[in-house]
Amino acid sequence: MATSAFNNPLRAGLRIGRTPEPCTMVIFGSSGDLTSRKLVPALYNLARERRLPGGFSVVGFARRDWTDEYFRDLLREAVNVNSRSGPVDPELWASFAHGIQYHRGSFDDAEAYTSLAERLAKIDTERGTGGNRVFYLATPPDAYPTIVAQLGAHGLAHSRGWTRIIIEKPFGHDLASAQALNAEVLSVFDEDQVFRIDHYLGKETVQNILIFRFANGIFEPIWNRNQIDHVQITVAETIGVEDRGGYYDSSGALRDMIQNHLMQLLCLVAMEPPSVYDADAVRDEKVKVLRAIRPLSVSDTVRGQYGPGSANGLPVRGYREEKGVSPTSQTETYVALKLFIDNWRWAGVPFYLRSGKRLPRRVSEIAIQFKSAPTMIFADTPLNDLDPNVLAIKIQPDEGISLKFSSKTPGQPQIRPVTMDFRYGASFGVTSPEAYERLLLDCMLGDGTLFTRRDEVEASWALLTPILQAWAEGPPQPFPNYEAGSWGPAAADEFIARDGRYWRRL
Amino acid sequence: MSEAAIDINAIERELRQMWQEQENPPDAGGQAVIRALTLNLIARMPDDHWADLAMTVAPALTAHHPNRTVIVIDRPGQTTELQASVQALCTLTSGGRAQVCGEQVTISARGASAGQLTSLILPLLVPDLPVVLWAPGAQPLAQPLVQRLYRLCDRLIVDSATFADPVRELTELATFEQATNGAPAVSDLGWTRLTPWRELTAQFFDTRPFLPHLHRIDEIVIEYAAADRPNPVAALLFAGWLASCLKWTPLEEAVGIEGETIQLYLRRPAVGVGPAAIRLVSVEIRPVAHSAGEGLVRLILRAVDNQRAEFVVELTGEAGHACTRATIAGAAPIERTATIERATLADLLSSELRLLSRDRTFAAALHVAAGLARRFPV
Ligand SMILES: NC(=O)c1ccc[n+]([C@@H]2O[C@H](COP(=O)([O-])OP(=O)(O)OC[C@H]3O[C@@H](n4cnc5c(N)ncnc54)[C@H](OP(=O)(O)O)[C@@H]3O)[C@@H](O)[C@H]2O)c1
Repeated sequence: MATSAFNNPLRAGLRIGRTPEPCTMVIFGSSGDLTSRKLVPALYNLARERRLPGGFSVVGFARRDWTDEYFRDLLREAVNVNSRSGPVDPELWASFAHGIQYHRGSFDDAEAYTSLAERLAKIDTERGTGGNRVFYLATPPDAYPTIVAQLGAHGLAHSRGWTRIIIEKPFGHDLASAQALNAEVLSVFDEDQVFRIDHYLGKETVQNILIFRFANGIFEPIWNRNQIDHVQITVAETIGVEDRGGYYDSSGALRDMIQNHLMQLLCLVAMEPPSVYDADAVRDEKVKVLRAIRPLSVSDTVRGQYGPGSANGLPVRGYREEKGVSPTSQTETYVALKLFIDNWRWAGVPFYLRSGKRLPRRVSEIAIQFKSAPTMIFADTPLNDLDPNVLAIKIQPDEGISLKFSSKTPGQPQIRPVTMDFRYGASFGVTSPEAYERLLLDCMLGDGTLFTRRDEVEASWALLTPILQAWAEGPPQPFPNYEAGSWGPAAADEFIARDGRYWRRL
Repeated sequence: MSEAAIDINAIERELRQMWQEQENPPDAGGQAVIRALTLNLIARMPDDHWADLAMTVAPALTAHHPNRTVIVIDRPGQTTELQASVQALCTLTSGGRAQVCGEQVTISARGASAGQLTSLILPLLVPDLPVVLWAPGAQPLAQPLVQRLYRLCDRLIVDSATFADPVRELTELATFEQATNGAPAVSDLGWTRLTPWRELTAQFFDTRPFLPHLHRIDEIVIEYAAADRPNPVAALLFAGWLASCLKWTPLEEAVGIEGETIQLYLRRPAVGVGPAAIRLVSVEIRPVAHSAGEGLVRLILRAVDNQRAEFVVELTGEAGHACTRATIAGAAPIERTATIERATLADLLSSELRLLSRDRTFAAALHVAAGLARRFPV
């Protein structure tokens, strides 16, 4: 965790953490969807919970010809609709909105950065932000290099305070492009200024994986090849590509979900305990996991693409009929893969990952399936194939942890699986903060633990790029091969069944 | 159950039965109701008004701290009456099914001796879980039941806002805290209510350029809402907190009282001069009429020597909001509105239940505040 060089004596014993220093957050692409759906609601909720300092300011940067007032009104509406705390508190919003400005410009227009620099300097004196800045790239990914270069050229990459940059996903579309983007970003910023966001890491249950593993002594001894049969990581979406068809068709499930979110989950489940909980120690361990993964071949994967079907009882289009998608598209909307981590802890334990669109339920979970009891002593029970113990870490939609174990049915000789559920929301009766709240705050505090480091991104791409290449070079697939609203292609079931296992029914 | 005798076995039986009713048939999806108990809470309520409050607080605590609550309504009386009842407290899933449950046992007593009550309470505590005793109202430390029980508890929670003779009871609380030395740990909900004020004050100085001003504060003004009988304990604790964090010590003539206004004089380590040099800090504490009814209303921290700097936190006209303002000579004032919600009893308790051991920040503030309070003219 980032420690500050100075020490506020009033902080000792306070029950909430430090507030960041006053700063200005410049949001590039501020007229877009992410800004109004996630970023500004998150900032507002931070302000509401007294986590932001007085003087905190926002500058939105986009092309549209908007005034400050129009921008504020739009954001207010956006917060009303999207904030977990409901409609804005007028008095609080007035004070928060006072610090919001709109800066009109195109990303490639040098002039706009000169005026941005002036505007930021003015905010520094008027609102006491002391040169502290966060640049948030909420833009189409092809704009990242332009913006970074312009910031560098206009001396905005460093200031008399601190300057940080948050980069949204996707970070590259294969190893070479990720390396190139890293090189461009790091020619202007230092790595410790760069915060690559993966909003999965901002979710409380995801952070809870580490707490669960390393703060409870009983799990660590069984968290290995001796006790664990296999691990399944599922991220299922019910939605199709919505209006992102054009973007998605050049991306696909492997790039859009596996490379970032599922790989992050895998790392957290599989990593060794870091010696301390700080940004570099945690990320060092994650990188070690990625590097220990045995190279993948196409036979370790199954691809799918949804055809017409239904969602929520209504008929829906197939992927190839979606807006912006080629009618002969070979893009996968479903991937399943199996991988092995070749280290002492995990040798021989398969990790099955799957993610897809237009599946029957929206659910993200990690399931640790333990080995079965060594001998079946209850042979005369009618159900003598006992279910193995499964520990499921649920990330979405209900955050929580459940443990399945066997228990006797009262009065009968039957043994039945019972699940013990710990639901985050229910057990603590509170809405957990949105992922973006935590991440934005961490960035302002300079804590990169929950952000992806350069070597992490590259290691993940290095693993998956050969698959992307092999797919591109291989024969065309018989797409579509699963119906919208089903659990993916039959090939995925056969794939896991070959190992004598089956996907969890979710 | 009634009369003077309560059958503990019967209570236990009722608790067991209550759980049986909660349980689902095993084929209902195989999902168990969780009886999750993280602590025992003994709520010693001085009268019916408090008893009603406790009944609303206990269920609200289940979400964060599922527990076995034993509410003891400890009323005075000539003859002895005792009654007990049992209830499950559950958080419900969206489908309305009970999910996490705690338990509540209510012992309604009149004219019972502390010994009688203790003999009922002790067997009802769930073994191997922390025991917290919540004793609001006046003179908690003088209550025979509290005197009997505190040694068995991990935490004693009082509320200085409900003290009858606030300044004297504050000094007694400090004496008790020192003597017991963390066994039990002591909490005061009056202190807990200061948390947002402490947060907003501390936040000014998370800003690097403002931090130096914290060490050169010369004047403090603390205004608190008071109706008929002012209770300056919260303000004294706040002053005690600043003094203990910033290493201010009381002067020989540390206290001046004019009407309801309290003046405190402390010395602070001087900045940038010889080690022996000292500077004076004056703290003015005064009651004001305010719609908030109780609690702090305005707080001013001011540095006047050399560069003038002023930090203000004050309630705004809109309930639940405060304005914070930092004004440094030569720069534009930095102002914003923040929420400063009035915490419910359940919120306050819940936040104290989160602490496992002695709250050292509170203890330090309490001892400075009590040290000043002891110098008040009688
Ligand atoms: N939306 C989400 O939920 C979500 C979730 C995770 C990650 N992301 C990532 O976040 C990023 C932003 O997503 P988004 O959905 O907000 O995108 P978006 O709705 O397309 O918004 C992008 C914004 O960038 C501005 N822009 C584009 N080109 C510009 C240029 N040359 N000069 C100035 N402004 C320009 C546009 O504003 P003007 O038209 O006014 O110029 C537009 O409002 C993407 O990288 C996306 O992958 C989004």
